[in-house]
Amino acid sequence: MIGLVDANNFYVSCERVFNPALEGKPVGVMSNNDGCVIARSAEMKAMDIPMGAPSFQLEGLRRQGKIHLLSSNYELYGDMSARLAQLLRDACPDVAPYSIDEMFIYLDGFSDAQCQTLGEVVRRRIRRYLGLPVCVGLAPTHTLAKLANHVAKKQSHYQGVCLLTANSPTTAALLKQLPVSDVWGVGRRIAERLAVSGIRTAWQLRECDPKQLRKRFSVVLARTALELRGTSCLEMNALEQPRQRIMTSRSFGKATGVKAELHAALRRHAQRSAEKLRQQKSLTRAVLLFLTTNRHRKDQPQLAPSAMIPLASPSDDTRIILEAVREGLEQMYRPGFQFMKAGVMLLDLVDAQQYQLSLLRPSTKAHPHLMNTVDTINQRMGQDTIRFGMTEAEAPWQLRCAHRSNRYTTCWDELMEAGTHPGAIAAARVKREQQQLARAQRLAQPRA
Amino acid sequence: MPLTSQPLPFPPLYGRAGFSGFPSPAQDYEPRTLDLNERLIKNPAQTFYLTATGDSMEGWGIFEGDLLVVDRSIPPRLGHILVAMFEEEVLIKRYALYQGTPHLCSAHPHYPPLPLEETDCQLWGVVRAVVHEYLP
Repeated sequence: MIGLVDANNFYVSCERVFNPALEGKPVGVMSNNDGCVIARSAEMKAMDIPMGAPSFQLEGLRRQGKIHLLSSNYELYGDMSARLAQLLRDACPDVAPYSIDEMFIYLDGFSDAQCQTLGEVVRRRIRRYLGLPVCVGLAPTHTLAKLANHVAKKQSHYQGVCLLTANSPTTAALLKQLPVSDVWGVGRRIAERLAVSGIRTAWQLRECDPKQLRKRFSVVLARTALELRGTSCLEMNALEQPRQRIMTSRSFGKATGVKAELHAALRRHAQRSAEKLRQQKSLTRAVLLFLTTNRHRKDQPQLAPSAMIPLASPSDDTRIILEAVREGLEQMYRPGFQFMKAGVMLLDLVDAQQYQLSLLRPSTKAHPHLMNTVDTINQRMGQDTIRFGMTEAEAPWQLRCAHRSNRYTTCWDELMEAGTHPGAIAAARVKREQQQLARAQRLAQPRA
Repeated sequence: MPLTSQPLPFPPLYGRAGFSGFPSPAQDYEPRTLDLNERLIKNPAQTFYLTATGDSMEGWGIFEGDLLVVDRSIPPRLGHILVAMFEEEVLIKRYALYQGTPHLCSAHPHYPPLPLEETDCQLWGVVRAVVHEYLP
């Protein structure tokens, strides 16, 4: 069985852990530089505020106190994501992060009942230990696990955990209802072509002859059909969904703890990811890096560090992404561990063209010709023909984040406060303000 | 399913020679430096740090500005010091019986115990340790 653990409204949920007053209220998280809304609580979705709504349009609602808008706090989200992955590693034999808030768990050799129980345990633990609500979808394949997760989220009677076997009547009924465009890995254009052939539901795709699909469409679509039947044949990375996140990760031939070697691997992955990013004409808002040791080597110390670097403005510039890689490695590297795998994830992607249209928001798409040339040469002459050896001196890392919450888990000066009695925190705040005022007044007085 | 203990992201320190050619006499022992993380943090992924604000827990050794090491995976028991959401406020209190029913108690006569029954109270985590620094 394969499980997909997906956090509900992850960014908003992270904020609520440390600011419980936000519970039950419409909360949105804004993109870097507070441009637009990139995450919404259920309450905000219910108000019909769309994803990507420009922040300035919501300023009125925010002033009236009807909604809460926060700047993105990527350090906090990155840390909570790492904790979530660790809790899963504690409970499951194998875990693979798919995005910042989605992780696959691999449960080979577990019975269905055991998988169901494990799913419930994991969900309860993450809720209690981290305060994050998650849903778990369990199925024999990646594609069905994604569907199971979707069902767990939408249909409350599953209580957040949905297990679908390949041939159960429930699975069949679900697939018959599901539009083919909602199947993982089926893009809009393919869905349109399938519709011409009369294939509109996931069930119809499942019933297609894979050989025909392969001939008329693609290998991936043929495999998707097989996956819907319960035959696992797609790698996690084949399920790349355009315009959401891009990941490049690979295991090393030989484990290494040498920082320069790790840096080289991460740089290579970053360059590859940046190329994919430009191919699909997107810009990235944040870069997530991770390293893992070999979990099979029980004799060696284990560590799975990660680092999240938000970019000053959305970018597809390899040099800026490489600078983020350098900074991220600096943050997460610890000597004394043999790392087996490295990965680079580009998150919260935004459509480059749409972004360019808005003049108010600067993006760092400074050298389109340079990047195009590099990509063309690499595509023609083979990967890594041209690589980046140097990075620009100083990237503008200063973010505009007027409404950012504290970095509760990564900054000593920004910890969450706990009052020893009701009103203690408010009283302390008043006292601090009074002291500041007194100090300012003292300074303003002319010296005798 | 037992939670395996996660190693801390701090490398062990080994005895090392100084600048000169003299080998350190301790080198052969490879002494393991004591790590405060190991002592105070049993479950790194589930542990969070908070700051205490207010004077009403001084009787139990928690002063304004102290660092609280909060483990969210410990089930709360009577006698534990808890961080709890009590009517939209984050409080640090002792979970104890008062007149036979569970209350959130202070160590200060000015602040009466808060009854838990019929109130909106949610556990945030259990305080495992308090760090009080005497010097800045």
